Amino acid sequence: MKGLTGYRAYRAHARAAALSALAYRGSFLLALGGVAFQLIALLAVWRVLLGNGDAGSIGGFDWPHMRSYLLVAFATGALVGGFVDFRMSHRIRSGLVSLDLVKPVDYQRARLWECIGGVWIEAVVIVAVAGLAVLFTGPPQLPAAPEFGLFAVSMVALVPLKFVVSYLTTLACFWTENFVGVLWARQALTGLLSGALVPLAFFPGWLATAAQWSPFAGLTSTPALIFIGQATGRHALLLVAAQLGWLTLLWFAARALFDRALRRLTVHGG
Amino acid sequence: MALVEARELTKVFRRPDKDPGLRGAVKHLFTRRYTDKVAVDHVNLEIEAGEAVAYVGPNGAGKSTTVKLLSGILVPSSGEVRIDGLSPRKDRMAVAHRIGVLFGQRTQLWWDLPVSESLAVLRDIYGIDHGTYKRRLARFDEVLGLDEVLPVLGRKLSLGQRMRADLAAALLHAPPVVYLDEPTIGLDLAVKDRVREFFRTVRDEGTTVMLTSHDLGDIEGFCRRLVIIDSGRIIFDGDLEAVKDAFARERILNVETESVVPLERLRDALPGAAVEPGETPTQFAVRFDRFAMTAGQAVTALAPLTNLVDFHVDEPSIEDVIRRVYSGELELDAV
Repeated sequence: MKGLTGYRAYRAHARAAALSALAYRGSFLLALGGVAFQLIALLAVWRVLLGNGDAGSIGGFDWPHMRSYLLVAFATGALVGGFVDFRMSHRIRSGLVSLDLVKPVDYQRARLWECIGGVWIEAVVIVAVAGLAVLFTGPPQLPAAPEFGLFAVSMVALVPLKFVVSYLTTLACFWTENFVGVLWARQALTGLLSGALVPLAFFPGWLATAAQWSPFAGLTSTPALIFIGQATGRHALLLVAAQLGWLTLLWFAARALFDRALRRLTVHGG
Repeated sequence: MALVEARELTKVFRRPDKDPGLRGAVKHLFTRRYTDKVAVDHVNLEIEAGEAVAYVGPNGAGKSTTVKLLSGILVPSSGEVRIDGLSPRKDRMAVAHRIGVLFGQRTQLWWDLPVSESLAVLRDIYGIDHGTYKRRLARFDEVLGLDEVLPVLGRKLSLGQRMRADLAAALLHAPPVVYLDEPTIGLDLAVKDRVREFFRTVRDEGTTVMLTSHDLGDIEGFCRRLVIIDSGRIIFDGDLEAVKDAFARERILNVETESVVPLERLRDALPGAAVEPGETPTQFAVRFDRFAMTAGQAVTALAPLTNLVDFHVDEPSIEDVIRRVYSGELELDAV
């Protein structure tokens, strides 16, 4: 009966996470409020910089483009928020991970499904905030049908990709007590190279190229560029393929790392 | 083949050796020194199906580490573990189906969910069908009074409630092997009794139990086998009653007499027993080997001397034996 745990077990983890997320709705909404505020601030700044659509453009981005880019960046940033790595790192450092390891479920898959369970509340808020933003700045221009399909795929793939990046860095908890340092480093790197702060096109050529084909691009830049129409056709397809490729690679890299992490585990106390 | 097997099981923890203070922290960046702490030292253990084993030792002896090694939470530094023939390292999930674990100091309930929801999630994780689930919940309610705990959120449980809920959680999937690590820690007497009764039903159903506890009242009357670990090594593994017969032979008959009787006369009346004065002139204690004499014989011997007002007998407990083992006063032959 080797590992014959079906979806029922993992859906249960998603359910537990979804219900638990409700308990944190207060602090969660507060955090999201902060992010929403940042979105509004960014929109305001870029609106000024790009002259409200009067043929102003920086780095190939005019106002309508930038507006849509920022909306997508907000959505991608809100998905798979700190919930996953916060809970997982806490459980490793406190030793509660013992109870996770005693369950007949794959540790990595279980954490993924917890992440999926938490996504619903993030999705609700994204729709609400994006809706509000659209009310103020007008509806965004949607890409053509095939690109929209690619955008949808990219957004869906974003969730496990963001998860696996988080998961990989959170595994550092098995090696170091100073998880916060690792977390900050990851957030800084991800924030920059994913295009969440500024579009990758604004980077010097070599960095822009490196970032675009890195795993981080799939966290914000790829879906955003497809949505605003700056990545089309074959280019868009390649970007999504890279996103999926990185997802696969990192997924299996994480599995290999976990095996080694278990060897390092120390759980103190009774 | 034993159900639970540990062969030369060893776990070594590596700790960085830092001098205290800022100086030490900086120095450690350049010259790294580590100390190795051997938490579990070549432990050999075999537990047959249906056994109830007490796993006892002073703080820091390696009890909980052993339990974690036997449940696949920690990977051994060397040596092997087999649960029902499976290796927890290679088949962690398959082993997880066969074991139930209760850590007295950690809960497996979801903090923000009511207990009923936590148990429902566990039901799905272990793939228990709804009918069986309902039956088991009913049984838990019967012995543990679980129904009153079901609607309470994980973080709002009192310790007694939490322990009962965690017991249900650990045994929900009716595993053949159960590890109970400090299951009665911090519990009041009423809950302790309830929980101990539950252990007995679990054992009587044929579940193999390994119990780690500092409260020897947990193991008395429940475990037939006693394993003592100290500093990572097993220093004793044998029958609990045999240990008591060998080392806890002494009973104490505490007597209160109507009139004062001189000690020498008492001692003459009770050869083979040690008579000591009590708190008042009319009280004294008779220490005797329970295999050499019975309490009845002692009372009969005293009757001609004086009227007895009151008496009670202190029974030997495994606690006295363990205390003497911890203090080094008593050395039990190892396995």
